[in-house]
Amino acid sequence: MTYEDKEYKHMATFWSDMLHLMTNKPQAISSAGPFRTMASNSKRISSELIEMNEKMADFNRHMTEYYQQLAETWSEAQKKVNLKVPDIPQDAEHFEAYKRVWIDIFDNDFTELFDSKKFGSNYGMLVSKELDLAKHWNNMADIILKSTNLPTRQEIDEMYQELHTLRRRVADLEAGMRQRRNNVKRRNA
Amino acid sequence: MIEDLLQLGTNMIRAPDMLKSPAEIDLEVTPHSVVHTIDKARLLHYTQEDGPTHRIPIVIAYALINRYHILDIHPAKSWIRNLLGQGYDVYLIDWGTPSRMDRYLDFDYYVNVYLDSCIETVCNRASVDSVTLQGYCTGGTVSTIYAALYGSKVKNFVATAPVIDGWKDTTVISNLSKHLEVDKLVDTVGNMPPEFIYYCFSVLKPFEQGIEKYLKLFRNIDNERFVDNFMRVEKWLSDTPPIPGELFREWIKNIYQKNLLIKNRMKIDGQRIDLGNIRMPVFTQIAVGDHLVSPECSMPLHYAIGSEEKTMRIYPTGHVGMIASGLSQKMVLPELGSWLSKKSD
Repeated sequence: MTYEDKEYKHMATFWSDMLHLMTNKPQAISSAGPFRTMASNSKRISSELIEMNEKMADFNRHMTEYYQQLAETWSEAQKKVNLKVPDIPQDAEHFEAYKRVWIDIFDNDFTELFDSKKFGSNYGMLVSKELDLAKHWNNMADIILKSTNLPTRQEIDEMYQELHTLRRRVADLEAGMRQRRNNVKRRNA
Repeated sequence: MIEDLLQLGTNMIRAPDMLKSPAEIDLEVTPHSVVHTIDKARLLHYTQEDGPTHRIPIVIAYALINRYHILDIHPAKSWIRNLLGQGYDVYLIDWGTPSRMDRYLDFDYYVNVYLDSCIETVCNRASVDSVTLQGYCTGGTVSTIYAALYGSKVKNFVATAPVIDGWKDTTVISNLSKHLEVDKLVDTVGNMPPEFIYYCFSVLKPFEQGIEKYLKLFRNIDNERFVDNFMRVEKWLSDTPPIPGELFREWIKNIYQKNLLIKNRMKIDGQRIDLGNIRMPVFTQIAVGDHLVSPECSMPLHYAIGSEEKTMRIYPTGHVGMIASGLSQKMVLPELGSWLSKKSD
């Protein structure tokens, strides 16, 4: 994180905390029940937004690198095509041959890029940063869901996991019953 | 050239009148019935007028990406129809479309529950103790694990472009997988979204697949056979269900990142998978031009298994060409049928 980033984060967190403290008491006096919860949630949501902003910078960095890699490969491939073109007669009949050369060179160069470590590692980071953003988004949604007494993503996932365990146990029981039925069948046969 | 371009433009204008939209195309070619369901998975039984001449049925475990329709995409290129024509009794597993509720489905569930329950059903229906199991692509991996764990229920095993040795895979998909923070992905989004899978496919041959093939379509708009086949394959390509989160996590970590399967160190439900336990006759089919599962990734299966009777064939085609093309009808399927015939009675 650069000095400027740290400064920005500090300033944003400071003012968001200060505003929260300054407005918290009047809100507490005048509100009860869900409104009270929403007031305290606003602080958590603003923290998520600050964090998100920071991740956004990282995401943009990897996104720029992603498009840069594509643009550089495009330009290199086009140069190769330009070198090859003089060998192909410039008439309607040879347009198909030109197109084939263009597609082959571009496919080769781009496949080479997608196969490279530099692309793989930047792409991995790009997806990772995008997931960081999605995580903050999920966190904010969870804060709102919680304040309205709805199940959060984590609670729904716990339910799905429980359901999965139950399905697995039922499957085991069914397999056991099948096995027993088959044994009886074999004995009778 | 200008004439060509004008013709191309005219064809593009005529296209909506001449072509069915993908939604109007029915991909079900060969008649079948659903003989067993478990959660969202279905076991399909393909029917034939004359009945099978071979006693041992074939159960096909399709891949976990895209749908099973490619095995029966066109009457003239249907894998299923060809096997029926050779006298085999054919079953196919449709894994269904996982929803968010299915995000905890893992290898254990696919192997020990879905696949086992389908094979049990086939054994009961056909009154046999074991079947011929064929696994394609990622379905080949699931089937390999099943064959290692349930040897007594698999009489013959056919592995078609299976994903086995992730470190030897030279494809773009393998490169992207190695750099993926899969824990973060699954924990954040749950199931692997289809959009992400589209991305992985679209970077494979971006210009051939993204530009050239559509130009070919508009140029051949009057060729009914070409257009019909193109639209069917296109519909199939664009229809891919999400992959259950836990299965995807295990997939990327155990196969592509840690390469545990080929090292005999992968575990499901606490059981270690030892490929040496595969002792039934095995037929491995590999496509030399496969850019989804490279030959180097599939071939190690042939050398790792404990079978005495094993055959490996390498075909001059690609991943899809091996199962749905003229070559598959003329070469791949007849060779498979003849290998299987003596082992299926």
